Amino acid sequence: MTDPAPLSGRQPRAVRSALAVLEEVVASGPGVTAKEISAALKLPQATTYRLLNLLVGEEYLVRLPDLRGFALGRRAARLALPVVPRPPAAARAVVEHLRAMVRWGVHLASLRGGTLTLVDPDPDHPPSEAAVLARYPHASALGRLLLADQADWRAVARDLRPLTAHTVTGAAELGARLADVAASGLARQCGELRADRGCLAVPVRDPATGALVAGLALCGPATRVAEPNDELVRLLREHAERLVPLLA
Amino acid sequence: MPHLRHRSPVHGLDRRNLGPAEVLAQSVAGAAPAAAMATVPAIVAATAGPGTLWSFAVATVVALLIGSCIGQFTRRMAAAGSLYSLTAQGLGPAGAFGSGVALLVGYGVLAMAALTGSAIYLDALVARLGGTGGSRPVLVAAVCVLAVLATAGVLVRVRLSARVVLLVEAVSITVMTVVFLALLGADAPAGPPPPDPGPGGIAAGVLPALGAFIGFEAATAMGVEARRPFRTVPRVVTWTAGAAGALFLFAAYTQVSGFSAGGLAATPEPVLTLVTARGEPWIAVLLDVGIAMSFAACTLATLGALVRVLFSMARDGIVPARLGATHPRLRTPHAAIAVALPVVAAVPAALLAAGVPPSRVLAELLTVATAGYLVAYLLICLAAPLFLRRIGELTTPPVAVTAVAAPVLLAVLAAFVVSEWGGAIPLVIGLLVLAGGVWWGWLRLRRPRELAGIGAYDETVADDVLARP
Repeated sequence: MTDPAPLSGRQPRAVRSALAVLEEVVASGPGVTAKEISAALKLPQATTYRLLNLLVGEEYLVRLPDLRGFALGRRAARLALPVVPRPPAAARAVVEHLRAMVRWGVHLASLRGGTLTLVDPDPDHPPSEAAVLARYPHASALGRLLLADQADWRAVARDLRPLTAHTVTGAAELGARLADVAASGLARQCGELRADRGCLAVPVRDPATGALVAGLALCGPATRVAEPNDELVRLLREHAERLVPLLA
Repeated sequence: MPHLRHRSPVHGLDRRNLGPAEVLAQSVAGAAPAAAMATVPAIVAATAGPGTLWSFAVATVVALLIGSCIGQFTRRMAAAGSLYSLTAQGLGPAGAFGSGVALLVGYGVLAMAALTGSAIYLDALVARLGGTGGSRPVLVAAVCVLAVLATAGVLVRVRLSARVVLLVEAVSITVMTVVFLALLGADAPAGPPPPDPGPGGIAAGVLPALGAFIGFEAATAMGVEARRPFRTVPRVVTWTAGAAGALFLFAAYTQVSGFSAGGLAATPEPVLTLVTARGEPWIAVLLDVGIAMSFAACTLATLGALVRVLFSMARDGIVPARLGATHPRLRTPHAAIAVALPVVAAVPAALLAAGVPPSRVLAELLTVATAGYLVAYLLICLAAPLFLRRIGELTTPPVAVTAVAAPVLLAVLAAFVVSEWGGAIPLVIGLLVLAGGVWWGWLRLRRPRELAGIGAYDETVADDVLARP
């Protein structure tokens, strides 16, 4: 009673009910109460309350401030494929402008909703596969921008597996790197995703809310990325600044 | 869509950063099982005699029931103000205010007691290792030094603080388990026969036995800072009640069987008597280390909870808003620490300096703290079903839990009042209640709006909700 029985794979009814509860919250909209869900699904009340507490504990649902009503939590966004619109022509022109100025690959990624999606990869310097970038944000510079913005990055980066000999895989070390990223607004990885390549990335933020919108990355030889690159970082930041009104 | 804030009312704390083990350490350290293992069985045996184990078993069940009531809240909300913030959601401002005053007394005085206890056992350790101990100035100085260390301990980032508590408490429990395993089967010299318990004696033994558990809810003050509060906090509170119960039963069994010839209740230091009977002096050194560390961890955990209650009260507007400030880098309530720590250090230091015997200071402070906790526990048990009814999630089991736990707690409180009647303690408690009443009256007169709205917790903000783009 104090400890809701853990769901195991042998309880298909419970899993089905939990999914039905999630769907019911989506269908009824934010503010739906436990009693209403129980009535709509014809589930026993005690079962409904236990499932709701479980889903709140896992952060797929949140309780609204009156503590009676429920709404979808941010984590639920990860159940759906993000629909990322193609960036406007003006934004692509800014990225193209930067490509003309440097000899490195320039990629633009959307970082909305806690997921990483490449929206304008450099055709001349193809980036790593989209699925790899999305699954292992700990190893890429763009992914680290995303993680550094999360309240709890451990919930997003669950599998800190090494992709090369240089990949940072320790949670504490990665935490320190992410704190650096958050403080400096610059993410860097040298040979952690592919042994010979490295990346620098800066965030694009909504000026009104401060929310992370996108990331702009420069990719080149790993040894070159490790250098301070002050001039390149200045260029990168300048272009990210010009993207703000176009993307936010 | 109801209106959502953009910032949590308890912003400024290090949100969602403590793992389960670190949260668990707060509760275990708050209950300080090592210190209670050594001292409480003899107190219980004074009334329960051979029924001592039964008294502890009943107290464990009561603690588990209280934990279940707390879990009804902590599974649904994350707060920094411990039971005070939770009670507000069930009993409204009056109940929450009562719980708040009781908790300030409980946490504040338990922290004082733990400071004193830590100083006493460190002093005894120094004396046992051949130093000179026991002098009054040394004890007062030890309390002050420990208070400064404790200030640093609660001021640093909560993650570091929690890890220190975890480490100290783990060592303490390991040491105590070794000590009691070594004492299993020791035979003390025969003493006066134990009193015949009967159900009345066992029931009277529940009060001190339950006193051994106080502080096991300390993790509820870490709701904002726990990484997965809705999962972690209710579990660790229940686990702490269960684990502390098991440790107490083990310690009580060792002592009751060691004094099978009688005399447990009549011996001032029963564990030391058992050590002498065993003839292994190193056990006494370990015992002092274990208890001193247990009290030190208890000081840290209790202070952490105390300053978070003060912080929450400041955010509610019933104490000066300045106490609700947090340090920008350390993300701990440094203003509340600056106000609470001097008081917590000054009271035991003054009592010791005035020449009150140290063991009496410890015992009386623990008694006052117990009163505060019992009131807060009673209020949370009453609040649980009302809270569930308010949010429309009431089922039968929580009502049944309260129906059992609340009368038992009331009876224990009544037993407490009867057992302490006539001494200085009722006077102190009376003065504290009076001060609470005056404070309540002042708030009713000057801050009625703040008073009506108390109960700030880490509510869902606009950012937490997945909304249509």
